Amino acid sequence: MEAVISPIILYAMIVLGALGVLLSLPRARANFALPGFLIGATAGGVVLLALASKAVAEGGGGLPNLYFYLFGFVALASGLRMITHPKPVYSALYFIMTILATCGLFLILSAVFMAAALVIIYAGAILITYLFVIMLATQSPTEEMVEEQPVFDRVAREPVLATISGFLLLAMLSTMLAKGVPMLVTPSATNADEILAQFPHDIEKALRHRTTMGDEGGILPTETLARSVNEDGTPGEFVIDVANRTVLVQVDAEGGATRTVAWPEDLELGHVQAVGYELIKGHPGAIEIAGVILLMAMVGSVVLARKHMQIDEDAKRAQAQSLASREGASS
Amino acid sequence: MMTTLAQSGFPEAMTTLTLYHYLFISAVMFTLGLIGFITRRNLIVMFLCTEMMFQASGIALVAFSRFYLEYTGQVFVIFVLTIAAAEAALALALVVLLFKRNETLDGSVWSLLKG
Amino acid sequence: MMISPATSLASGAADAAAAVGAAPTWVLAIPFLPMLAVVLNTLCAVFGNKTKLPAWITVGCLAGSFVVTMLAYMALSGETNTVTAWHWFDLSWGDGVGQSMVANFGFYIDNLTLLWMMFVTGLATLIAIYASEYMEHDVGKGYTRFFVAFGLFVFSMLCLVMGDNLLMLYLGWEGVGLCSYLLIGYFYKKPEAVAAAKKAFIVNRIGDLGLAIGVMLTFVHFGTLEYEVLFNSAQLQGYISAVQEGRAGDVPLMAQLIAVFLMIGAFGKSAQFPLYVWLPDAMEGPTPVSALIHAATMVTAGLYLIARMLPVFLLSEWALPVVAWVGTITALLAATIGMAQFDIKRIMAYSTVSQLGYMFAGLAFLSSTGGVFHVVTHAFFKALLFLCCGAVMHGFAGQLDLRKLSGLWHMKGWRIVSIGMLIGCLNLAGVPFTAGYFSKDMILAEAFVTPGYGYSFLGWVLLLTAGMTAYYTFRVFFRVFTGPVQYEAGDEHHGSDDHSHEHEAGDAHGHDGHSHEDHHGHFHPHAPGMRINGVLATLSVLAILAAGLYFISPEKHGWIGDMLEESTAHNIYTADHSSAAMFVIDGDAHGAHGHDSHGHAGDHGDHAHGAHGSILGYDPHKVMYYISAVFGLTGILIAAWAHGPKGLVSGFIGGRVEAGKCRMDGVAAKLGPIPRWAENKWYVDEFYAFIFVTPLRVVSHIFHMIDKLLVDGLVNLFGYLPRMLGRGAQPGQSGVLHGYALSMAGGVGVILFIVAWVTL
Repeated sequence: MEAVISPIILYAMIVLGALGVLLSLPRARANFALPGFLIGATAGGVVLLALASKAVAEGGGGLPNLYFYLFGFVALASGLRMITHPKPVYSALYFIMTILATCGLFLILSAVFMAAALVIIYAGAILITYLFVIMLATQSPTEEMVEEQPVFDRVAREPVLATISGFLLLAMLSTMLAKGVPMLVTPSATNADEILAQFPHDIEKALRHRTTMGDEGGILPTETLARSVNEDGTPGEFVIDVANRTVLVQVDAEGGATRTVAWPEDLELGHVQAVGYELIKGHPGAIEIAGVILLMAMVGSVVLARKHMQIDEDAKRAQAQSLASREGASS
Repeated sequence: MMTTLAQSGFPEAMTTLTLYHYLFISAVMFTLGLIGFITRRNLIVMFLCTEMMFQASGIALVAFSRFYLEYTGQVFVIFVLTIAAAEAALALALVVLLFKRNETLDGSVWSLLKG
Repeated sequence: MMISPATSLASGAADAAAAVGAAPTWVLAIPFLPMLAVVLNTLCAVFGNKTKLPAWITVGCLAGSFVVTMLAYMALSGETNTVTAWHWFDLSWGDGVGQSMVANFGFYIDNLTLLWMMFVTGLATLIAIYASEYMEHDVGKGYTRFFVAFGLFVFSMLCLVMGDNLLMLYLGWEGVGLCSYLLIGYFYKKPEAVAAAKKAFIVNRIGDLGLAIGVMLTFVHFGTLEYEVLFNSAQLQGYISAVQEGRAGDVPLMAQLIAVFLMIGAFGKSAQFPLYVWLPDAMEGPTPVSALIHAATMVTAGLYLIARMLPVFLLSEWALPVVAWVGTITALLAATIGMAQFDIKRIMAYSTVSQLGYMFAGLAFLSSTGGVFHVVTHAFFKALLFLCCGAVMHGFAGQLDLRKLSGLWHMKGWRIVSIGMLIGCLNLAGVPFTAGYFSKDMILAEAFVTPGYGYSFLGWVLLLTAGMTAYYTFRVFFRVFTGPVQYEAGDEHHGSDDHSHEHEAGDAHGHDGHSHEDHHGHFHPHAPGMRINGVLATLSVLAILAAGLYFISPEKHGWIGDMLEESTAHNIYTADHSSAAMFVIDGDAHGAHGHDSHGHAGDHGDHAHGAHGSILGYDPHKVMYYISAVFGLTGILIAAWAHGPKGLVSGFIGGRVEAGKCRMDGVAAKLGPIPRWAENKWYVDEFYAFIFVTPLRVVSHIFHMIDKLLVDGLVNLFGYLPRMLGRGAQPGQSGVLHGYALSMAGGVGVILFIVAWVTL
């Protein structure tokens, strides 16, 4: 299989991007943030264009592709801006932008629930906390002071070495990805109907909805989905034929006559449904552990906060004592 | 079937947008986060950079999920989000504590492990 | 001596083999009663006993052990029995011969064993009674310690002689070595005693290594350590018949080496040249210890080993001649040294070494009866002599110099000691009709009878030594016990173990606790008490009666011969006179020695006419009585002339009027430096120090330097390098988070780069 992107372009753009990042990192005297950002954006754009040109050449394209390049570029550009901006508040805001762009990418990847969760948790909760802490922990400038960032925000630490090692890592990663991704075997598609068959009540609901709408092929209010009978006489599984997309329906409640009803044509597996099913069915233990971790984080935060208060009070007491002794000495 | 922006389920394998595209985006984002973590001295920004690296891994996971037509990757992202939330809570509490101690957010001030 | 029918070796062994039975369980009480004493005495020590209880515990247990031994003698004499206390080693790694190792904690009781058991337990009982008085000055911790080691010694010695396999023998061997070490070093605050203990232990190590190798070789070659299996094994019997038929070359070298290594072990334990040097120094221990361990019992362990393993010794054509020569050299050397010593205990020690030499020579002359007889008689009279010396030492505050003691015979309360000493001296000197006379004669006669490597020359040497023995023995007697009453107190008070006990002990003895400080004026020697005198009297009687053993069943060379007939040593006893048959092809003992063509017999044929050798043309068995008596009496006469008191025989003989002066002083002056050399033990210790100790010390210094510079240097270097590396890498540990993150990222990048470079 032909390479996704020409290595020459790739490496050249990586070097260019490194230069851009290096320039845009905050530094003590001269400020090359804008040209650096432009160079970096150019490099990223060229790479994305190269990727797109390949896709166009192969006859694909279309809206999702455009969205992909759009969101990808926005995510990377705001990421670059985030790590280079001297003001933490702006960094946080740029990071929100990155998250939003990432959500777009998730949507293209059919991960609807993930996109929503990302916006709610990251952009909604975590980043707000960050902003809150930034406000809390930044010294408020006094009247006579010129509004100026502290030096540790204005000057980056070891930008050259960091950029070199970071982009060396990137070059290696992209090389290996280019080599390795084509080797992956594309799997056969999962039959979404099999998962859907695990939700008989959804099927029943859809069928009843059809009847309500007056369409043919639904089930009547008196009818219920038929169940198989276990050996000990208790009702068992619902009788659902996945291959033919049909269910067995019991005509009257006392049993007896049954009939086969086809699923609605437009009945499809919802994304939340699928992810939730995978989460609960496949990783129940991990959920418990995650819950414990969250609990620990909460307890830890509380403990840290309390300790901090105590230290504060101790310091106050010590200060009061020293003040008292000084007054005693002077008088 | 024509793919739509927010289609539900996985209709078919990835075509023109290959896994490589997403992984490349992920790698670049991870690198940016790493560089930011190394170069920036503000503790809060450093933690923001780690969040960005989390994001990069999230993109990679979801892309793999899409590629393999499986939901496990996305489930994993849920856990990543959980850990990120817990980490953010603790880290920010610590940052506040450190700030109270030293009245600065400069991370390079804290070098008690100096050899 | 008489001529026994020349029973073949093999049939003799077969007879012994047929009789192995199971001994009754009660004989286990013999070794375990002393062990009980050890346990009880240990409890005494734990509970801080301050009475003489340990002594009576020990005496009681040992007496019980002796009684059981006598019962065992009555019940089991003449048979060979084994009894197993418990299974000790029972290993197996296959079904073949030599693929299992069995060494039970079991006992093998035949006549040889019984003999040793009797005199070990009997003498131990008597000496324990003696020690209960002798060690009085040390009642308390030291007293208990003494009797714990004493009991342990008896237990170990019984394990040694009763064990039914070589491993038990080895256990007992090391056990007695340990107890010897502990008891020599009993006065552990005295540097000489500590040095002597170490010397004894280290010199014994050399011999014990030989024994260990011998035991291992026995197992490797014969595949067993058990006497019962070993002596009945077809392999050993085959070798014996091969030797008997003159095919000595058929015996593999390995089998011959066994005897050589066992011999080295025996030399070490029994203080033979060149490993005898520890025994005289061992006299630093308390006198009862010297009497029991270093005169009567432990030092005969080597004899026991050779007597027990005689069938194996016969396999080597060199082992027994070497034993004979070494024994004779030891006897002569020790006698010459003994003649020039002034410390009476040392004299007795050298006399012990000398007499042990006799015994070895006796065994080697294929006269196990003579050797073992001498062991038994010597055990009694030498113990008696030592105990007498101990009594003198005890009474005169450690005085042992014969120049400072005189006329004890005439002192009140010393008569029993003097008589005991006289009886012991008569035995040792070989005066006719004493026990020592008969046993020594048996050895001497055999030296002339047995054909071998210069054996008749050895016989003359031993005769000369007998004269010297008589001289130095009676030198002690005449100097210390006769003549004018003169004495000086010793400079120590029964040794210097525990000075805290000294004062109370001194009061108990009825003389001033500080007596050792003012020598003449106020010093009153205290005569031995009832227990010491009782023991001395008993031993004197026993030493006299021991002569009677010779007259019991005379057709078998006395009672000892009778006893040995049913033991492993018997195998060789019957070969005693057919031994000549070992060296001739036609097996005809009579007249075969004239032929030069027959091996060793031919070389020494001129000493052997007929079945016997001869001495000056007479049958040695008959004339030896007279010859040795002449030598012995001559020695006594010379001693009397030189050291006897004035008025012994009208001034011609004797004439000593002072403790410190005698006629021999003038003789010695004429001999030039020789007496001084003899007094300094021919500088053997200095020679060993020069040959072994000094080079070892130099080498150890060299190794010390190597260890310090090279080994320590290397070790320190390996410690130094990481430290320097760490110092070099220290700046990398900036302590700042960014530095670590940077190096981590860079490291991952570099590793990925390498991986990509190699794989892509």
